[in-house]
Order: sequence, then C-alpha cells, then structure tokens
Amino acid sequence: MKRALVALILTAAAVAALARFHAHPPRTLNLRAAQADRPAVRAAASRARPGVRTATGPPMMTPFSLVQVRVTLTDGRLTGVETVALTGDGPHTQALNARAEPILRREALRARSAHIDTVSGATYTSRVWIQSLRAAIEAARRG
Amino acid sequence: MAERRTEHLMGTAVTVEIRDRVVPYRAIEHAFAWLKWVDRRFSTYDAASDVSRLNAGEIGLPDTHPIVREVLAYCDVLRAGTDGYFDAHAPLPGGVDPSGLVKGWAVDVAFAGLLRAGAQQLCIEAGGDVRVAGGPWRVGIRHPRQREQLAAVVVLRSGAVATSGAYERGAHVVDPHTGRPPVGMVSVTMIDHKLARADAHATAAFAMGSRGPVWSAGLTAMSILTDDQVLLTPTFCHLRA
Repeated sequence: MKRALVALILTAAAVAALARFHAHPPRTLNLRAAQADRPAVRAAASRARPGVRTATGPPMMTPFSLVQVRVTLTDGRLTGVETVALTGDGPHTQALNARAEPILRREALRARSAHIDTVSGATYTSRVWIQSLRAAIEAARRG
Repeated sequence: MAERRTEHLMGTAVTVEIRDRVVPYRAIEHAFAWLKWVDRRFSTYDAASDVSRLNAGEIGLPDTHPIVREVLAYCDVLRAGTDGYFDAHAPLPGGVDPSGLVKGWAVDVAFAGLLRAGAQQLCIEAGGDVRVAGGPWRVGIRHPRQREQLAAVVVLRSGAVATSGAYERGAHVVDPHTGRPPVGMVSVTMIDHKLARADAHATAAFAMGSRGPVWSAGLTAMSILTDDQVLLTPTFCHLRA
C-alpha cells in the first residue's frame, strides 16, 4: 500500500516534471548535476529502431540506494520511463563496521520523537528522481 | 521579549531565534541583510553574481569582491584538510561553486554580529544546519526516512550542527575523486564550534562514502549507513540527550 502510494506520488511528480519540461526546457541549474562529466551516461543514449531513442540519466543518490531513470522516446514523444535502482554496497559497509568497531560506537538506527528546540538534516523528496528523469530525456533528445 | 524570524534566502529558509529579554531587533535586520548580500555575491543561479561572472570568464579573480576571494581561499584550506573531499570545484567542472561553504560561513558571520549586538540565547537555523549559543539547546537530528521522527537528539550549550546527505535539493554531493555520488552512506551529522567547519566536514565525510566514519573518528560525528547502522564518535555520544 505504502509502496503503491510512493509510486503514485512519483508518477504525479514525473507528470508535473514532464509538463514543465515541455513548457520550459530545464534551466541549467536543474541540470547541473546531470551535466557533470559522466561519459558513461553521455554515451547511454541509443537508437534501437528508427524514431525510437532510449537514454539513461545519471546515477542519483537517494537515502538508501542509487537511482537511475531510463526513458524511451518514440518520434520525440515519451513512451517509456523505467527506474533502475542500484543498491548501496553491502560489503563496503561490512568492512567499515569491522574497522570502525574499536573507535566508534555502533548501534541500530532508531526513530524517536522528543521535545526539541531546532532540527538538523533535510527531508528527502522525489526531486532526485526528477533530476535523473530530466537528464535522461535530455540525453535521449540529443542522442 | 523573545523573537523568532524566518526568511527565505540562499535557496532555503533561515530562522533566527533569540530568547533574551532584550532583543536586538536592528541587529536581526542587519543579519538578514548580510545574508541577502552574500547570496547576491555568491549565487550560482544568478548570472550577475561575482561567482557566476567568474565562472563565465567575464571577470578574473582579482575583480571579485575581497570577501569572495576570502571564501574561496577558505574553501582551499578545507579542501586540504579533508583529503580533497571537500572540493568547491567538484560540483561545477571547470568552474568553482563555493555554495557548500558559503551558507555556513555566512551564518557564522551573522551569528557573530548578533552576539556583538548583545544576543545571548541565540539560535540560527539555515536549511537544516544549526548554530546555537547560550543553551542548553536541544537539537534534533531528523530521521532519514521517517520525516516526523528523530534519529538522535543532542544538547548543546553552544556550537554548530550540520548534516550532509541525500538532500532536499538533490544529489549535490559527489565524490570529487570519482564524480559520482558516494555509496554506503545515508547521512553524516557533524558538530563543531563553527557552522562552516561542521558543514564542510559533514560534506567531506559523506562524500568519502564508507570511509567517512573512520576519517571522522576524531571529530564529533554521527554517520547513518545504508544498512540502518549508526556510528557515533565518542565525543558525539557525550552530547546526546
């Protein structure tokens, strides 16, 4: 249920992003992350058959994984969006835990509520995903 | 009496809170005016800012405001102090983007101005980064997935708390050595005397990925890993509520 809701929100966000994309090409500031030198991504646009282009956006960090968005354009129209999730690196984390043990205190992440005066840390939104989507569309159009 | 004011600038919300009986209202105005001025000079979104013109090649470094040069020099110091992981050149290949430092640094300057004006119980919060004095202030560190919950609470008499991670404003932290977002880490929270340092160190430790927690062992840090493990340095443990 929760997953379905998330998917729905992402879809809605994507539609909003696409609407904006058509009306106003993304400004440089939105694409800055996408335009960083990532040769693998630049080369990702490809043509399977005439009129059909696919491209993959750059990997973007989300709280618990890396996300990439792959789009398909048919005659310039968006006909497919696919999210490719790359998971975090388990072995790295395990190696880290072994090294960190003597110095650092290790515990499980907990959620709590308490009276506080102020708060540090920002919230996560689907903007990361939208950035990757925009970059993928851009790459497909160029490709 | 006490005063709490929020304004939107530097692409985020900045709140100044003073809990003294006598509030230096003019100094609060000055603090926000200062932050707006800094925003105009440093914004990479504003084509007329010193930093944008520098990156566009319209002006050279000597033509920028001395304060811009000061911040860029500070960026270089922090780059050297973080094994190159805090790198103002990384977000913008071929150019420079000191925004990772500017916010914390500008808040530190505003904070000093308010203290000089007589503020004692003072808190400035700027987009999830916090600097306080005259505490105890209870600072919550947001849970990475459950928005209304906290992952930890620290109590500070004075100091700064900065958290770096996969943020609201997108994946703006990359490993400058690979150009890719780091893996293994959800967020790093750093506590220090000043916000600029806390912020830069949090950014660097996050960019290091799974090496970050060990690098930060001598600092006051909390790292949340992708496997729901939390690593705390000894000094961080002491500050927890």
